[in-house]
Amino acid sequence: MLQPAIRCVEFVESVTDWMEGALVDEERLALEEHLAICPHCTEYVDQLMLARAVLRAAGGQLPQESPPPRARATLLEAFRRERGS
Amino acid sequence: MDRDGTISSEAGASDDDALVLALRAGDARAFEMLIDRYYGTMLRVARMHVSTTEAAEDVVQETFLGVIQGIDRFEGRSSLRTWMFRILVNRAKTRGEREGRSRPFSSLEADLETGQPSVDPDRFEPDGRWAGFWAAPPAATHLPEARVLAAEAGDRVAAAFESLPDTQRTVIVLRDVEGLSALEVCDLLGLSEGNQRVLLHRARTKVRATLEQYLDDRVEVS
Repeated sequence: MLQPAIRCVEFVESVTDWMEGALVDEERLALEEHLAICPHCTEYVDQLMLARAVLRAAGGQLPQESPPPRARATLLEAFRRERGS
Repeated sequence: MDRDGTISSEAGASDDDALVLALRAGDARAFEMLIDRYYGTMLRVARMHVSTTEAAEDVVQETFLGVIQGIDRFEGRSSLRTWMFRILVNRAKTRGEREGRSRPFSSLEADLETGQPSVDPDRFEPDGRWAGFWAAPPAATHLPEARVLAAEAGDRVAAAFESLPDTQRTVIVLRDVEGLSALEVCDLLGLSEGNQRVLLHRARTKVRATLEQYLDDRVEVS
């Protein structure tokens, strides 16, 4: 097998730049050439995509800060006062 | 709004219309939904511009008050979310400037994790003709995506997400959960495009590693 212009160890560092369309043509082609012949890096990309899908699906359940009860109450009170209902 | 409470960018416009009408009509439940949906994300964004959590909480509070007062003037030229975040960032920047420090730059520098490898170097061939190629590649996944999405992978990914450094977590939540564009995120957080990408790369790389571990465990038990 002919060795591609870039190696797996470089591919994993540049993969986000590639996914974000931030590479110049020459670099992009080198990455795509690598991807075309490397099943392991293809799997790596698939896992990155899957991780993104899992994160997106988990969106509502991700730990995040909810408003302190007093802040929430103040806001609702302000809303009722201003918008009158 | 979807069942899981996310507002997807694609479905944004018509959902926005209904929500804006409800807010203008004084529907307190619509406003409550808005608070619960965006408070956490707004707090993350505000924290990027001010120096304390208390200041960030104030900014978010002022933003929601601004929404109450300004909803009649919202013209729908951007999404409701973009409009709210613009109010938020304007206020956060003003507050940050008043504090005399617009942002803890040192934490950004640390969170870029310059020079750290994305994947454990031991997983690549150390020398010989194939040096730098996978020695221990990611195992092929045979689980259908739907099963992974439905399974407890979400819990593991959530834990990985929680352990990310602040700026990485903020970037990945805005990009991959909220679905904002790179430019929107740069604008909201005051990041260069390059730094935004590095933070996204670091965050996605770690979340993938956790998912890989989960997938490997599943292979071993099955």
